[in-house]
Amino acid sequence: MALAAEAFMTQLAAAEPWPENAALYQQLKDEQILLSDNASSLAVQAFLQMCNLPVRVVCRANAEYMSPSGKVPFIHVGNQVVSELGPIVQFVKAKGHSLSDGLDEVQKAEMKAYMELVNNMLLTAELYLQWCDDVTVEEITHLRYGSPYPWPLNRILSYQKQWEIRRKMKAIGWAGKSLEQVLEDVDQCCQALSQRLGTQPYFFNKQPTELDALVFGHLFTILTTQLTSDELSEKVKNYSNLIAFCRRIEQQYFEGHDKDSSSSATSRSAKRSLLR
Amino acid sequence: MAAPMELSCWGGGWGLPSVHPESLTVMAYAKFSGAPLTVNAINNCWRAPKGEVPILISEDTVISQPAKILNFLRKQKYNADYELSAKQGADTLAYIALLEEKLLPALLHTFWVEAENYCSVTKPWFASRIPFPLSLYLPGKMSREALNRILLTRGGPPLYSLTEVEAQIYRDAKECLNLLSKRLGTSQFFFGNRPSTLDAFVFGFLAPLYKVCFPRVQLQEHLKQLPNLCRFCDDILSCYFRLAVSGHSPAGQDTVDANLQKLTQLVNKESNLIEKIRLSLFLCRWTTTFVRVLSIPLES
Repeated sequence: MALAAEAFMTQLAAAEPWPENAALYQQLKDEQILLSDNASSLAVQAFLQMCNLPVRVVCRANAEYMSPSGKVPFIHVGNQVVSELGPIVQFVKAKGHSLSDGLDEVQKAEMKAYMELVNNMLLTAELYLQWCDDVTVEEITHLRYGSPYPWPLNRILSYQKQWEIRRKMKAIGWAGKSLEQVLEDVDQCCQALSQRLGTQPYFFNKQPTELDALVFGHLFTILTTQLTSDELSEKVKNYSNLIAFCRRIEQQYFEGHDKDSSSSATSRSAKRSLLR
Repeated sequence: MAAPMELSCWGGGWGLPSVHPESLTVMAYAKFSGAPLTVNAINNCWRAPKGEVPILISEDTVISQPAKILNFLRKQKYNADYELSAKQGADTLAYIALLEEKLLPALLHTFWVEAENYCSVTKPWFASRIPFPLSLYLPGKMSREALNRILLTRGGPPLYSLTEVEAQIYRDAKECLNLLSKRLGTSQFFFGNRPSTLDAFVFGFLAPLYKVCFPRVQLQEHLKQLPNLCRFCDDILSCYFRLAVSGHSPAGQDTVDANLQKLTQLVNKESNLIEKIRLSLFLCRWTTTFVRVLSIPLES
């Protein structure tokens, strides 16, 4: 049943061109959004920029609850709502835009494998850091997550989410890991990405693909978000080609915008230097 | 001379040295890298120190997850990856992540959650290798853990319904198998002519799916339509687990292993019997004490 519904949706998607008023929803940028959600949102924004599809970013406190799958970001295009990078890539492909058409079968397999690597290691590490590391939870997460809501709702929502994430960590075997082990996994993942990237401009040589968007989203967010300690960003900074990669994508796809638009890449790095 | 290493893992069946994917991965890697492991099929889970399987015991060190066991073997100089380039090492990590994210949920579902498969194949098999009364509880616990993992990683809040998730996970698993098949192509192993860590992981995940006879087999049917993956599994089974290949383990070692396994099974059966007798004696004693306690007020 779900498959038939999806096929129907794909046909609907293919029928209309990309509208001018497409919107991407995420949580409030300055007070509420957390590291992992920010990374996912930036990845989708980067992907849409790479496809040359205009989208405006709308910040809502209840974005997570509006999303059909419970995860941010989600895009509202025409009369359809699609969430998460994977389905958004499929949706955009149904509309006739694709970044990975030029790849052969083996390269497509590699691209999907590396995207799973980022989801499996980097995203899980970010979730671990923000929900299972007590220091970060107390000082950052609890304050930010429920900030738009009054007491006691903010605390309740925050604890509920923490319980949910901790259950998930336990199911996949990450609950028993210490912070050092998690950081080592991040290091291993960055090493793999760095070795795969090598000296090329993008992962699949000349043209960026959704993998580049995903890696950029996560690495840029890790590098520019102020946490309780710098250990996570230090792990990424060890790899100079990854930093150059992030800078290149930022310059090419985000700096053409106005200051008060969605990119906020420059504003976030300003915030970081102010906090120092 | 390295210290002797002992691996405790679930036993074999249907032509496989082990039906448990993680145990099979470790055994395959040990064969590829030439590590001398003594394999003990677990018949009694209480003896395994932490209850996690597979477990490697070397002198005083006890290591429990496949990734950590493989790291330990590499540090002992049993490295199947030394010929790989840095990029190939990175690819290994990426493909292992692909297997865990896309194929593992469907594998868990086929073994532990699909009702017909679980009741007719998985539960009897595992229950026969676990001592009473644990055999009544442990398979159910493993099944619940598998369901939990699937729902928490793939299900969407707030209802976490299984039916919506089933179609999605099988579709992802079939896509993953197709990707692996395209990546393997016509070569013998994933990276050239020598097997490496990635081959061990792929073999560990695919072989149980390929060989174990289930009543509900949609994923197995799909796998059988990918002849290069089937050939890959069969090659590893025939080269590394049954016949002797020149330069690798001598034929004598296999018969010694087989004898050792038979002896271990006999010993385990005996100990099971002893435990049952002990349990029944304990129950008898408890009953007589209870009767005696009850009869005291009658006497007085």
